[in-house]
Amino acid sequence: MLTFVARRLLTAAITILVVVFLAGVLIHLVPGDPITAMLAQSGNASAADIARLTQQYGLDRPVWQQALIYVGNVLQGDLGTTIRGNEPVAPLLLGRLPNTIALAVAGLGTALALGIPMGVIAAVNRGRAADFAVMLIAILGVSIPGFWMGLTFIQVFSLHLGWFPVAGTSARNIVLPALTLGIVHSALVARMTRSALIDILNEDYIRTARARGLREREVLMVHAMRPAMISIVTVVGLVFAHLLGGQVITENVFSWNGIGRLAIQAMLQRDYPLVQGFIVIFATSIVLVTTALDLLYGLLDPRVRRR
Amino acid sequence: MTDTALPPRRFRLPAALRHWSIATGAVILAVVVLAAILAPWVAPYDPFRMGSGPRLSPPGAAHWFGTDELGRDLFSRVLLGARASLGIGLAAVVAGLGLGVSFGLVIAFCPARLKGLLLRIVDVVYSFPDTLLALALVAFLGPGAENATLAIAISLIPFYARVTYGLAAVERAKPYVEAAQIAGTAPTRIMRVQVLPNILQSLIVIGSIGFSSAILSAAGLSFLGLGVQPPSPEWGSILASGRNYIARAPWILIFPGLAICLTVLSFNLIGDGIRDLTDPKGRRRRG
Repeated sequence: MLTFVARRLLTAAITILVVVFLAGVLIHLVPGDPITAMLAQSGNASAADIARLTQQYGLDRPVWQQALIYVGNVLQGDLGTTIRGNEPVAPLLLGRLPNTIALAVAGLGTALALGIPMGVIAAVNRGRAADFAVMLIAILGVSIPGFWMGLTFIQVFSLHLGWFPVAGTSARNIVLPALTLGIVHSALVARMTRSALIDILNEDYIRTARARGLREREVLMVHAMRPAMISIVTVVGLVFAHLLGGQVITENVFSWNGIGRLAIQAMLQRDYPLVQGFIVIFATSIVLVTTALDLLYGLLDPRVRRR
Repeated sequence: MTDTALPPRRFRLPAALRHWSIATGAVILAVVVLAAILAPWVAPYDPFRMGSGPRLSPPGAAHWFGTDELGRDLFSRVLLGARASLGIGLAAVVAGLGLGVSFGLVIAFCPARLKGLLLRIVDVVYSFPDTLLALALVAFLGPGAENATLAIAISLIPFYARVTYGLAAVERAKPYVEAAQIAGTAPTRIMRVQVLPNILQSLIVIGSIGFSSAILSAAGLSFLGLGVQPPSPEWGSILASGRNYIARAPWILIFPGLAICLTVLSFNLIGDGIRDLTDPKGRRRRG
């Protein structure tokens, strides 16, 4: 078990380092000189400013050296400073992190609360109308762009019915964005739950349980759902990663003051250090959550540890 | 690892068209593609002309989808928007597929140790959602239709590389590749002339699965102001410019959104059917 944990943690650490390095390299994608492009947004910049910033970001060095400098800075907790306002990036992003986590957790919770029952209903009624209906809803769910669903919710529930505020960041405001993220991602959860449960329902021990005369409900809830939950745990990581991708856009639709909203503002203003910081923080979150779930999976299913 | 994965079953077009979800998807897609091709001739108004009608007028006989905040005809704009959305999707999928396939083939023919490392890198990048990848890339490339297409193409590479690697690894183990290797054929030639034609059909079929994600990403980027720039009509950018008027003119919200949904749905239906038919474990357990 210990070697399993150690190996997973080491992989996670290496992955994060690679991503931070890539985030450092990304600045070279900027057409022309990145410093000039950044300063163009804030207006009057002297040649001295340009020289100072070029040196500060290591852009006068080879790509790999510059990216390693970035990695070194990040390891010391320094994500650089914003171009606009010259504020340190790390506290700015971390200050928004609670809002982003709150929405991600609420969205993930909604996705699981909707998706798991849908998947169970489909698996139990395999091949019947209920199964078909659930799978149809699931495929519709992955076809609707989250931002459109969000705008439609604002139109109906905020503007028309007046149930929720249109925009902002408060407990009441979280309902619509969480629903948007939850509905879009419940489709994925429903599919995974369905296929995991269908595989399990074909197992011999389920037949044995039925042969022993257990009620169908008991067979499903006690004998089938528990092993199915193990498979579901593994897809939660995948759903979470996708959810964070959708969250950037959803935060913008609902003016939710999270990291995603800040990141898009930074992108439109070409505030590259802030964008790099956003990539580092989002990527790190995804790696940490995936690793935590992997460890949990190993805890639940001893066979995984030996792989 | 996918070394031991079963190869997908062969894909046959006539059987596919009888599959309900492929047939439904194909019909919807055909309508969208026709709309995109015929847009300039079918559109009742110039999609760029302001004041084609009164501002924010609701759908009616003169303007089927109503007009937007500048009095432009929404039906004409949504029609022409199909070109932008499908165009970006197609370009991104073709470029992403080309690069991903090359990468996957090279990985399959690498020495074991290097192969492990490269696969690991692909897996790391693949673990990030493609929307997020495209967003990160376009942030540095700068906003615009071309850059958005490039960013989406790159975001699709890990998926295609992974799939290609799986298919090529199976082929590589077959006797004909070994024979070519013994005969002294260069690895790059084996990849191009021997392996690629054998997996091409599966690749094209699987390539189509990337479309729905490419079109969703394109609409999302344009909506955020990072993709197609106004006044060019694109479904995401029409939604972005209309979002301030949704209280007074919900039709600006409804029609471009429906267009995205239907197009993505058609690709998802087709992709789902293809997965169903080519699943190596036989028909997926569905009624």
